[in-house]
Amino acid sequence: MTATTGTTGRWGEAGVVARPLLPASLFYVVFFAVPMLALFVLSFWRANGFVLIPDLTFDNYEKIATSSLYRVLILRTITVGFITAAIVVPLAFAVSYVMRFVFETRGQVILQLILLSLFSGYLVRIYAWRTILGKQGLLNSTLQWMGLIDRPLEFLIYSNFAIVITLTGLLLPLAVLPIYSAMSNISRDYLEAARDLGAPAYTLIRTILVPMALPGLRTAFAFAFLLAAGDFVTPTLVGGTQSLLIGNVIADQFRGIGSNWPLGAALAFVTIGIVLTLYFVVMRLIRWVTTW
Amino acid sequence: MKEFLRHILESKLNEDVSRRRFIQGAAGLATLTVLGAPAMAEEKKLGGPLNFLGWDGEHGGNVAKEFLAKNNIQMQASFQSAADEALTRFNTGGRGSMDILTPNKDFQRAILAANTELFQPLDMARIPSAQGLFPAFKDAPWLTRDGKTYGIPMIWGDEPCVYNPAKWDAMPEKYTDFADPKYKGELVLLDDPFGNIWLFAKSLGMKEPNRLTAAELEQVVEAMLKVKPNVVTIGASHGDMADVMVRGDASLGIGGWAYQTLIAKDKGVKLVVGSPAKDGTFFWSDAYALAVDAPNVDNAYAFIDFITLPESNAALAKELGSGCTVEKAFDLIDASVRDIYPYDNVRQPGGGILGTQIVVPPQNPEGDIVGSAAWVEAWQKFKVA
Repeated sequence: MTATTGTTGRWGEAGVVARPLLPASLFYVVFFAVPMLALFVLSFWRANGFVLIPDLTFDNYEKIATSSLYRVLILRTITVGFITAAIVVPLAFAVSYVMRFVFETRGQVILQLILLSLFSGYLVRIYAWRTILGKQGLLNSTLQWMGLIDRPLEFLIYSNFAIVITLTGLLLPLAVLPIYSAMSNISRDYLEAARDLGAPAYTLIRTILVPMALPGLRTAFAFAFLLAAGDFVTPTLVGGTQSLLIGNVIADQFRGIGSNWPLGAALAFVTIGIVLTLYFVVMRLIRWVTTW
Repeated sequence: MKEFLRHILESKLNEDVSRRRFIQGAAGLATLTVLGAPAMAEEKKLGGPLNFLGWDGEHGGNVAKEFLAKNNIQMQASFQSAADEALTRFNTGGRGSMDILTPNKDFQRAILAANTELFQPLDMARIPSAQGLFPAFKDAPWLTRDGKTYGIPMIWGDEPCVYNPAKWDAMPEKYTDFADPKYKGELVLLDDPFGNIWLFAKSLGMKEPNRLTAAELEQVVEAMLKVKPNVVTIGASHGDMADVMVRGDASLGIGGWAYQTLIAKDKGVKLVVGSPAKDGTFFWSDAYALAVDAPNVDNAYAFIDFITLPESNAALAKELGSGCTVEKAFDLIDASVRDIYPYDNVRQPGGGILGTQIVVPPQNPEGDIVGSAAWVEAWQKFKVA
């Protein structure tokens, strides 16, 4: 046995790298890839009452393509996802900047405080937002007490506005993490050099901060956009009567009398396809803007 | 592989009428007097596991604690989040490992009507306490098929309007009257396609509100859309509806739950019950059923018999904030819980109004009559509009 084969075995260098990945890969194959494949197969089946009929039909996809109901819902979902991400990512960027460059020595403390919010349950946090935004909630009561409004602002709760605000609150800590992590690797010297050379703040952000924090921004956008677009609990609890998203309809297809698993599966894959396509388009755009 | 996948994915049914979700939370927190086990000596040998799959709280965790301990029965309870979960598990490897199920009225009716294999007929001689059920529950049509009984009801209730009396003196005569602009920003509905469509179909005078043609269904949705501008939100569950009213975000819940008045009372808010006089409302009930190929039949029968005793039934009804199904349990329940349910309806034989009232549509289309999928889609269109 040579020294080389002793350390890398017959799989060579690739084996050394691959072996540690095996448990996680196996986990993903068994608990993610296989169920997704089953769901994909299911999307070509038919439902007849309580019975699922194996088939190879495109009826479910055709129904989605021709139904204005699903078009409206997918468009609404993407809009909510984009708006949420458009608010969350810059906010998280600003928070991360402050943590990294303004309160550098207190950065970790601020980070821990932000992460504290994750210790409370997801539903608890949504109900907390209901308490803040409700007709008789904290915000309306304060505004009325201050004499700024005569009657409660009804758009604050049970509206698309409430969904975006609530999702922003829920997703901000998740977006701060990757951006702050990426910014931690940016040396203050770059910023100072740029300032010394007369670069305005906008140029500094566009040419130094954003490109160097791009991996973090990308992850933050993925968290914000994908999680917002896929959420169906927040719209249910704070969304009101005009805020049904595609996630709610997909969930409906998998429970209760009248459910339709194949249609639900097809809806899920159409949504995944559209959302991922848009995600990659946005990533391209960001890359283009930062190298321009 | 194909057959395996088919079994894995086959099945479905009836989502909870979301009162359940509240029960899941409430029951977990409730503490109750633990009832003593009856002196009835079981002739069959008891002991070992008893597998329960049903709504949280209906396993009698508190009520049957002493009975289970005394008979050395280990209750292995798992809780469903939708009524069809039992059928899903049954068809995906759970057969032979499930004993007691707790279907609701419409789910059990649908399963029996479809001849879908899930429940086994009960040997009523082994459940003598069932003799004490209210007349409506003894031979209820949703529990029987071909002269055999498939379930023993344990709780029941209705879905009335629940409203804030400080805002409203009384309910209008019909559900369609809620389109009046005076209700703007005051209504909360439950996310229940069948309940809502059924109520408005009845309000429009349709003879069989659960059997609608496509045109009738469209007519119903149009009527509901006239009400929609007045709706603040659609509650995810009865507990959520109560929360919306307690916070003052809405003052009137359609298709509510009488127990919401007690939830609100605990939080210092007064809500009362009342439904449109002409249209009324609909009723629900949950029952204990025995799964086909149940492995612990003796334990299951003993448990069902125990939990159907007046003391057990009263304790369970109180814990779950629902109506009791055993006649002698009525006097054992606090007036605060007892008086919120219209017990006259269960003193009649043959299921009473619970028996004649069918809320869910046919699972599949029947001629011109549309199936349940069309109702779900109509409800989604209503929500999107």
